[in-house]
Amino acid sequence: MKKTLRKIALTITIVLSLTVVAFSQAKKPTIMVVPSDVWCNTNGYMMEFDNQGTKVKLPDYKKALQENADLLLVISKINELMATRGFPLKNLESALKTLENNAAEDAMTTSKSGAELSESPVDKLKNVAKADIWIQMTWTVNTTGPMKSVTFNLQGLDAYTDKQIAGASGTGNQLLGAALPVMLETAVLSYLDNFNVQLQSHFDDLFANGREIILRIRKWDSFDGDLESQYGGEELGTQIEKWVSDNTVQNRFSTSDASENRMLFEQVRIPLYDANNKAVDARGWARGLQKYLKDTYKIDSKLTMKGLGQATLTVGEK
Amino acid sequence: METIKKQTILIVLMLFCFSVLSYAQAKRKANKDTEAWRYEIEAVQTGVQGTYLIKVWSYSKKPDVAIEQAKKNAVHGIIFRGFAGRQGVQGQQALTSNVSLEQEKADFFDSFFSNGGKYMKFVASTNDGAVAAEDRMKVGKEYKVGVIVSVNVAALRKDLEDAGIIKKLGAGF
Repeated sequence: MKKTLRKIALTITIVLSLTVVAFSQAKKPTIMVVPSDVWCNTNGYMMEFDNQGTKVKLPDYKKALQENADLLLVISKINELMATRGFPLKNLESALKTLENNAAEDAMTTSKSGAELSESPVDKLKNVAKADIWIQMTWTVNTTGPMKSVTFNLQGLDAYTDKQIAGASGTGNQLLGAALPVMLETAVLSYLDNFNVQLQSHFDDLFANGREIILRIRKWDSFDGDLESQYGGEELGTQIEKWVSDNTVQNRFSTSDASENRMLFEQVRIPLYDANNKAVDARGWARGLQKYLKDTYKIDSKLTMKGLGQATLTVGEK
Repeated sequence: METIKKQTILIVLMLFCFSVLSYAQAKRKANKDTEAWRYEIEAVQTGVQGTYLIKVWSYSKKPDVAIEQAKKNAVHGIIFRGFAGRQGVQGQQALTSNVSLEQEKADFFDSFFSNGGKYMKFVASTNDGAVAAEDRMKVGKEYKVGVIVSVNVAALRKDLEDAGIIKKLGAGF
């Protein structure tokens, strides 16, 4: 009987340890390679639409992927090399196809009673290919008489902070009669290792100083008060700022914008794990603020997110 | 007659021992030079996938030792030093950014860089180790020899990652 109890205790301990180990993995950012706007514009892969009288040009990734074999080669080479480094990337073409398939499925989905899926205009707007880090690439072919060379530029961009976290660029050898795919492959091989060194530094910084996020505070016009209203002897905005300061790594954040209606916190360094050693992202972290406002000042709020690194809290109601 | 024979054998033996000792001493000196980072690396071309093609300049009183040491210097340089690029060829950063790694993991690297050690798995000389005339220079009392080698950096990185010497990209996620 004692032996059985011991075995059970041992099994429970092992399971619990494994759970803690599983939780102790930080949330992994997704990375996707996309051609830059400049490349798309130069090669004629842009779509134009009228936005309330203003003509807006956006890159047409689908057209580019369907028509440009060189682009496919470069994306595939970068994906292949990153996978060998143990960091597989999200593939742009597959992400676009999944979006299309999901949209078609959603349009056809009805319940037994005939109800359709709910989708707000914001949901529709957010229905685009997403990644936490974009690898934006550009290449141009330089021609000097019969000689050709390729200028290659890789930029790693954080989707939330808009910071360039890694980069590698340069111009390869001038070659006579070399095929463009070969020159592009050589360029990827030449630049990707240095790019990854910088990416690794970014991850090291993230583990040492916390994830950098952006927090936006807004208010519904139905809210009886604003961010300058008094709560607990101070303005609501100040109380929010205090909470942010108390809950960031080494109190690191900057208040970029503050008015009675909105606040913007940038360079907010949040811990990668909460008190229970569970991995957190911007939404998980901002939920703490939402709970604080509700518990302390009885203020309801709506929390929306964008990937791992951007959260918006709109106070007043859900 | 027999005395002459004995003396000749003795002299030959002494010469042999002297030459072995002198070679071993040159090798020890070369190893010390590697530890003291006394070598230079320059980019030659972008290697095929997973490799770097570099020229390593090593120093030794014996050109043969310098040629052999070039392989060790190449792997050492790729791990700890990196190399600058030149017109049209990109330089590469070292596999580790930790400047104290060699001291922190001394046990591992002592065996890794020992004569005939594991480093040999990741490096190959091109042209069967032949050195161009302009790449063999007499500098003072010693030779400076430039050897072109190919380092299998993908396999080297993986080996160091698996051994826990350097971090994997995105370790901790």
